[in-house]
Amino acid sequence: MGRPRAFDEEEAVRAAVGLFGGRAYDGVSVDDLVGHLGVHRNSLYKTFGSKRGLYLTALRRHLADDLRPLLETLADAPDVAAVLRLVTSADLGLLLLAAVERAPVDEEVATEVRTALAAVDRAIADALGVPADMAAALTSAALGILLRGNPDDVGAALARRLDSLTGERNPTWQ
Amino acid sequence: MAVIRIDGDDLVVMMEGLDKLWAFKGSLTIPLANVRGVTADPGMAAEPKGMRAPGSHVPGVIIAGTFHQHGEKVFWDVRDPAKAVVVELADERYTRLVLQVEDPRATVALVESALS
Repeated sequence: MGRPRAFDEEEAVRAAVGLFGGRAYDGVSVDDLVGHLGVHRNSLYKTFGSKRGLYLTALRRHLADDLRPLLETLADAPDVAAVLRLVTSADLGLLLLAAVERAPVDEEVATEVRTALAAVDRAIADALGVPADMAAALTSAALGILLRGNPDDVGAALARRLDSLTGERNPTWQ
Repeated sequence: MAVIRIDGDDLVVMMEGLDKLWAFKGSLTIPLANVRGVTADPGMAAEPKGMRAPGSHVPGVIIAGTFHQHGEKVFWDVRDPAKAVVVELADERYTRLVLQVEDPRATVALVESALS
């Protein structure tokens, strides 16, 4: 019987992002993790301490790999329509599930989610030159569209309404 | 069956009933600082366990006692795999504990809230 083989931690964490982002925290067992990550059970515990430890590592990786590029592209967004399109087309599955499932029961997850969404708010505020509260409202609308779909193209309706306002050098934001 | 409770800055494992015969004289106290995490893991019982330390008596259906594998020392006390939790430790005599508890989810929630 050999020692547990070494595993590629980067690769394992990326696989965990996919699993947790697709099936949620409670839907992923340690058996699932062992089966999909190429990690021996003992190595998993030794490296991450617990399923929660791995989840936190995966969530942070998700934010670094998937949220950071969104923030960079948001910086160049010319209008509300572009902001809504960028946020709703980003791969934010694990972040959304974390917000709904784990943030209410896990303070560390809640902090990660809060920080991530605040970064989106800031990127929008900087790109469009709108106040922080309006940027947060746009983030909230985009997340709502992500959760709900885009019934009757509400994204376009919102963008038309808001862009006509921002087009006037946004006097109404004050 | 084990009962895990939090006592100040310690995690205390109490063995119930006959289990205390083969388990660290009935209870084990570990500083929370040395607890890396706890996980409900029904699949753990199917893992290879390594060499049993001398002295632990294990009748058939129960996995109990101290096991050595790959330089790790693991304490087991599991009869019903569905109720197993894995407690990962640092700087302790045991690398990890695999224990049967009444309510794994509640145990995980209890320890995680104490750790945060």
